[in-house]
Amino acid sequence: MKQIILLIFFFLTFFSAAEAGQRYISLAPSTTEILFALGLDKEIVGVSSYCNYPPQAKTKPKAGSFSSPNMEMIIFLKPDYIFCTGLEQAPVVTQLRQLNLNVYVSDPVNMEELFDSIREIGKLTGRSAEAAALIGRMQEEVKTVSSKAKLTPENKKVKVFIEIWHEPLMTAAKGSIVDELITLAGGINIAHNLPRPYCNISAEKVISLNPQCIIMAYMDKEPSLRLIKQRFGWDKIEAVKSERAFNDIDPDILLRPGPRITRGLAELYKRLYPEG
Amino acid sequence: MGIMLEIKNISGGYYKENIIKGISLDVTRGDFLVVIGPNGSGKTTLLRLVTRALPLRKGEVLYKGQDTLHMNLKEFCRRIAFVSQDASTGFSFTVMELVLMGRIPHLKRLQFESKRDIEIAREKLMLTDTFSLKDKRMDELSAGERQRVIIARALAQEPELLFLDEPTSHLDIGHQIQALDLLKKLNRRNGLTIVMILHDLNLAAAYANRIALLDKGVIFKAGTPEEVLTYQNIEAVYKTIVLVGKNPVTGKPNLVLVPGEN
Amino acid sequence: MYFKKRFVILFLLLGLAIIFGLIKGAVNIPLSNLLLGDNRVIFNLRLLRIIAAILVGSGLAVSGIVLQAILRNPLAEPYLLGTSSGAGLAAVVAVIAGVSRIYLPLAAFLGAVLSIIIVYNLARERGIIADQSLILSGVIISVVFSSIIVFLVSLFGNEAMHEMNWWLWGSLQVYDHKLIFLVALPVVLGICAIYLFSQDLNAISMGEDEAKHLGINTQAIKKILILITALITASLICICGIIGFVGLIVPHMMRMVVGPNHKILIPLTCLAASVFVVLCDLLSRTLFAPVEIPIGVITAIIGAPVFIILLKKGKRI
Repeated sequence: MKQIILLIFFFLTFFSAAEAGQRYISLAPSTTEILFALGLDKEIVGVSSYCNYPPQAKTKPKAGSFSSPNMEMIIFLKPDYIFCTGLEQAPVVTQLRQLNLNVYVSDPVNMEELFDSIREIGKLTGRSAEAAALIGRMQEEVKTVSSKAKLTPENKKVKVFIEIWHEPLMTAAKGSIVDELITLAGGINIAHNLPRPYCNISAEKVISLNPQCIIMAYMDKEPSLRLIKQRFGWDKIEAVKSERAFNDIDPDILLRPGPRITRGLAELYKRLYPEG
Repeated sequence: MGIMLEIKNISGGYYKENIIKGISLDVTRGDFLVVIGPNGSGKTTLLRLVTRALPLRKGEVLYKGQDTLHMNLKEFCRRIAFVSQDASTGFSFTVMELVLMGRIPHLKRLQFESKRDIEIAREKLMLTDTFSLKDKRMDELSAGERQRVIIARALAQEPELLFLDEPTSHLDIGHQIQALDLLKKLNRRNGLTIVMILHDLNLAAAYANRIALLDKGVIFKAGTPEEVLTYQNIEAVYKTIVLVGKNPVTGKPNLVLVPGEN
Repeated sequence: MYFKKRFVILFLLLGLAIIFGLIKGAVNIPLSNLLLGDNRVIFNLRLLRIIAAILVGSGLAVSGIVLQAILRNPLAEPYLLGTSSGAGLAAVVAVIAGVSRIYLPLAAFLGAVLSIIIVYNLARERGIIADQSLILSGVIISVVFSSIIVFLVSLFGNEAMHEMNWWLWGSLQVYDHKLIFLVALPVVLGICAIYLFSQDLNAISMGEDEAKHLGINTQAIKKILILITALITASLICICGIIGFVGLIVPHMMRMVVGPNHKILIPLTCLAASVFVVLCDLLSRTLFAPVEIPIGVITAIIGAPVFIILLKKGKRI
């Protein structure tokens, strides 16, 4: 019996030792969070200068900024796998592949794809178990919110405008993960039917659609509520009249397709339905 | 004494209208022909048409019997040189570099200047009394010095026929006489045939052996200075009164201005 | 003899610049290890960059010299004839049409060539190219194409926008050594061909009539030279994007120092511009490593003060 246990132990350590030799670079804040959430740390040998969570990420060597990775740095770090997103980093991905580096592109447009992405990243890094656990936790958190949201009758659903930039005025529509969060939280995204997942919207359009709640979440900047109050004609909007414009949800948890997005979902729900 | 240039009934211009409307003129070897005429009469256009700077719309120009348009351009420029009115260039070459460019018609594209070319350039600089300036840049020179250098460049082409468009307009009277004396010397001693546009009628009278008076794109009168510079011709073309006397030194006609208020 | 001395000095400077460029980078690798194993990839990357820098420097500077001489306009520069916006527009269209990224350089090249053809034909009047018309047409086409680019980007959003970054700021990082070789061919041949026209350039820079009276067939020469500069510029844009300053200011700087005689100006400018771009590239990758500053920014920041100093010293353009 003892020998069998020892043998199993031996095999387990052998496999995890092989995994511990892996080296990963993450070029996007979202994938960095995922890697850390899977329990990796010393395997992460390089991040982008924008990776700010968890705090350990800030101590990792920088392999470039978000849109321009430093090739020399990346090669020098000898990564086994490079993780990045698809949309903005597309040109980067081509360049990396031209150098025969392994690249995994994570570009989820909804929760389902995010879970698939986490699962695949888990498989690539030998952390399938942790990935499954993470996904399970996230699904629980989603269910907590969506089950409450389902109880809201259709005509009581809160109309939301989510503002992701001010000049030009930009919002998220169908095809973006934020749009799905709004639906899961029991809200109605007034910009849902716009043609592109992230696109411009005119100020007048927002006035005419009259949202009951406004969420301001800018990627790199702290938005000021004054911006909304100053806009011409926006004082007629219900959200502004009833003081339901919020800028206090950390954009990193709302807009980043990573492990903390379920927290973002919870915060969103609290703003939409403060009593529920 | 041969006919160098036969200008046969040429016409040409810039836009729809022809500026030169049918001019015929012969230039004999050894001529010092001065072209005069009021503003807009077409003097510069005439020279540009003859030197292939402007396309002929009608007529032909024969150089020693050969149609100039059928001559290779570089060969043409080995025979005929042009000194323009204003030598303001955007880039400042040295005097030596500029005069050496006069050898371009004699050089093939890839060819560098030979010792002989440099010798010729030096010789022309000395002729025009600009040798001391040879390493200066063009924009360091005075207007008079610049004009002499441009003449040196034209001479470096070793032409048989030299065209000049008001070469003395920027010069003071001292430098004017100096430049024209030089040209007269080259004309008399070296046999250089000269066709020159001048504004100053007295200078024209003093130096030319033949004068062509232009008016509205045609030749009003061509001939010796005495034949052309009469008070009738001047009044008809320039619409102003002059008295025609005689220069006591040269014996040539001398025009006296008559200001209107008197 | 000035020429020989200056040539040798610049040649040595270039050699030094190349060595520095190979040794230094975002990552510090001691010289002894540079060619070992994995480090060889980094070495190759740097080598490709340096070759690109030399091509860009000499190609753009010589094109600038030619256009300034032909058009007799000190503001003339290689992108004047619409090449830059043509390349950009073609790249944007290709991205939106979903063309594989491998073909982007080809698209940019075709776009650049197409705009030159349009500009040229707009400026042509009865077989004659008037300098003013050429400049104006170039400006108009640049503006029109740039507006179309903005229009397309606003319609099609993000993907197009991110692709434009390399075009807008320029980047000397080329990964494909076959591509570099393909581009080197027209650039090097073009520069050699232009050198053969030094005599004509000297004459033309003095004036249209002046040149004609020296026996230069100005119309034919202009057409040929514009075509050559267009090819050089288009080839460089398609691998490196737009890199400003080199084609406009370096010619002026060199003219101030060595004079306007193209027989001397062209070879010395090739060397000087190469040194300049190689050094600027080195700075762009090492100043704030691992962040890389776009090369266009560095060339402007370094070049502008040097130009002002030369200007103040009283040397004329």
